[in-house]
Amino acid sequence: MDTETEQLSEDIIVCTDLHKWFGSFHVLRGITTSVKRGEKVVILGPSGSGKSTFIRTLNRLEEHQRGTIVVDGIELSNDVRNVDAIRSEVGMVFQQFNLFPHLTVMQNITLAPQKVRKWPRAQAEEVANELLTRVGIPEQAGKYPSELSGGQQQRVAIARALAMQPRIMLFDEPTSALDPEMINEVLDVMRELAHSGMTMLIVSHEIGFAREVADRIMMFDEGIIVEEGTAEEFFTNPKHDRAKEFLSKILS
Amino acid sequence: MSANPETTLSTALPPPILDRGLLGWAHANLFSSRFNAALSILSAALLGAVAWFSLRWVIQDSDWTLIATLSGRLIIGPYNTEQACPGQDCFWRPQVSLLMVTTLLGMAWVAAGGGLTKRIAIGVTAVLAAFSLLPNGLEEMGMDVRLLLVANIPALALGWALARYTPLGTVRWIAILAVCTFAATLLLLGGREGVPGLQPVSVIHWGGLMLNLLLAVAGIALSFPIGIALALGRRSDLPVVKLLCVVFIEVFRGVPLITLLFMSQVLVPLAFPEDFPLNSLYRAAIVITLFSAAYMAENIRGGLQALHRGQTEAAQSLGLPNWQITLFITLPQAIRNVIPAIVGQFIALFKDTTLVYIIGMQDIVTYSRAFIQGNPEFIPSALELFIFLGLVFWIFTYSMSYISRQIEQNLGVGRR
Repeated sequence: MDTETEQLSEDIIVCTDLHKWFGSFHVLRGITTSVKRGEKVVILGPSGSGKSTFIRTLNRLEEHQRGTIVVDGIELSNDVRNVDAIRSEVGMVFQQFNLFPHLTVMQNITLAPQKVRKWPRAQAEEVANELLTRVGIPEQAGKYPSELSGGQQQRVAIARALAMQPRIMLFDEPTSALDPEMINEVLDVMRELAHSGMTMLIVSHEIGFAREVADRIMMFDEGIIVEEGTAEEFFTNPKHDRAKEFLSKILS
Repeated sequence: MSANPETTLSTALPPPILDRGLLGWAHANLFSSRFNAALSILSAALLGAVAWFSLRWVIQDSDWTLIATLSGRLIIGPYNTEQACPGQDCFWRPQVSLLMVTTLLGMAWVAAGGGLTKRIAIGVTAVLAAFSLLPNGLEEMGMDVRLLLVANIPALALGWALARYTPLGTVRWIAILAVCTFAATLLLLGGREGVPGLQPVSVIHWGGLMLNLLLAVAGIALSFPIGIALALGRRSDLPVVKLLCVVFIEVFRGVPLITLLFMSQVLVPLAFPEDFPLNSLYRAAIVITLFSAAYMAENIRGGLQALHRGQTEAAQSLGLPNWQITLFITLPQAIRNVIPAIVGQFIALFKDTTLVYIIGMQDIVTYSRAFIQGNPEFIPSALELFIFLGLVFWIFTYSMSYISRQIEQNLGVGRR
C-alpha cells in the first residue's frame, strides 16, 4: 500500500515553461505542468488552442523550442537514443487511427514488439492475441485494416500501442473521426484501460467520458493552460471566464 | 405499417430491362445518345475496314518465310557465326543458359505455389520446346540444337523437384540462384581463353533477342534498387547526399539515352586506361541502368510523397528507428502505389535496349535490318519481318504489364 501511494505520487511527466512555434505562430506559450503515475488527464479546449500539439511534444512528434520535458526520468532532447527510449515507453492513439494499410491487424500489432523489443514472433503474436481479446476483436487478426469498421480500426490502434507495454498512453482525439454509434466501443476500451491503472493523457471532446474517467481536467486556450482541476471542480465551478464560455458552448 | 405497401423492406425489385444483359450493356455503352450511337457506328465501320484489309494482306499477300529462315539468328544474332566463334559450334552456350533459366522457373513455380508463375513457367518451356520443331533456317538446325531445346522440359521438372524436395525452394534461395545464373550466363557466353570448348566470344558478336534480354534483365534488376536509393537520398536531411542525388537524377533524366550511350563508348575509353576491364556491353548496361534508375527514383519519390504523414508518425510513436520506418512502413507502401509507373519504366527500358545499335551492337532489330540490307533479295519481306519484331516486343511488354496487374491484385492495391 505504501509503495502504491509512493508510485501514485511520483511525477511521470514534468513539463517546465514549454514553448513551441509553427513558423511565426506561437502555438505553445509556456506550459508548466506535471502528470503523476497512473493519473488520467483529459485535455479540453477550442480547436487551435495547442492541446494536440502539447501531447505531440511529449513523444517528440513535434519538437519544442524552449523549456524542458522529462518523461519517466529521461529528458527529451535532440539525442536520438533518448527520443527512441521515450517513444517506446509512450503509446499514442491518433484521430485518424493511422494503421498500416499494407499489413494485417496481427502484423500491425506485432511489428514494433518484434523490431524494437526484439521479441520472438511467437511471443509477440501471443501478446497480440491477448490484446485483441482485451479490445474485443480477437477474430479480426488476419484481416487488413480497410476491412474493419472505424471503431474496430481504432481498437486495433489501441492494441498496437499497448503491445509495446507502454507506461503512458496519449490519445489525440481518439473518437473524433468515428461515426456516433462506434464511439462507445472505443470509449469502453479506454475506460477499461483507465481502470487498469495506466497513465493516460486524452485530448477529447467527450464530456461525459471526461467526467467519469478524468482525475484532472486541463483546459487549453491560445497556447496556455487556462484552467486545471478535478472534473468535479471544472464542470460545476469553473473559475476562469474562458472556461465558463467554453463549457457553455459545448454543454448547450 | 408502411404507407406504401410496394416498398416494404423485404422486396428488392429487379433493375429496369434496359439496364440488364447484352441489350442493357449496348444501350449504356454504345447507344446512350444519338451522338454516341453515330460514333459507335462510325467506329465499327472503320474497325471493320481495317480488319478486312489487314486480314486480306496476312492471308493473301504476305510471305513469312524470312522469319523461318532467320529463326535462331533472331534470338542469338551473330553469336555462333564463323567470325564470332571460329572453328567451333557455340550455339550450345546460350542454350545451356536457357536451361538454367527454365530450371529456375520450375523452382519459382513451387515457391509461388502455382498460379501465374506456374502458367509462365509452363508457357515459356512449351514455347522453347516447340522451337525444336521449326523447319531449318539459314543453316541446318542440328540434332544437338533440337535436343537442347527439348531439354528445357526436363530442366523445368528438375527445378520443380529441386524446390519441392530440397531446402532450395525458398524465395531467398531462388533469388541467390537467379543472380548466380545471370553471372554464369555471362561467363558461359563470354568463354575463357584456354578452356577447351569455351573459346572466348567477343561481346561485339553477342546479339539478337539474347542481347536485348541480357541488357533488360540487368537493367531492371539493378535500376530498381539504385532508383530506391536515389529517391531516399533525394529526400535525405543530409545536404550533400541530397545534392548529389538531385544532380545525378537531373543529369541522367535530362540527357537523351542515345547521347549517353554514345558518350560511354567514345568518352569513357578516353578517360580510362586502354585495358580498363569494362567492355562495350558492360558500359551499355551501366548507362541503360543508370538512365532508368534516374526515372525510377522520381517514380518512387512520387509514391513516398503521396503517403499520409500519419503513417510515419504512427511508426515513430511506436519507437521504430527511422531506417526501419522506411524499410517496413513507407517504402513498401510507396512502391505499391507506383507499381504502374515502375512497370512502365521497365517496359521503356526493355524497348530502349534496341538503341545499342548506336554503339555497333547487333540486337534483334539491328541484326534484322542489317540482314535485309546485306541480302537485298529479302527486301520485299521487310514488312513481315518488322511486324514480327513488333509482335515479339509486344509479347514481352504485355507479359510484363499483365504480371504487374496480377501482382497489384495479389497485394490488394487500391483496396487496402
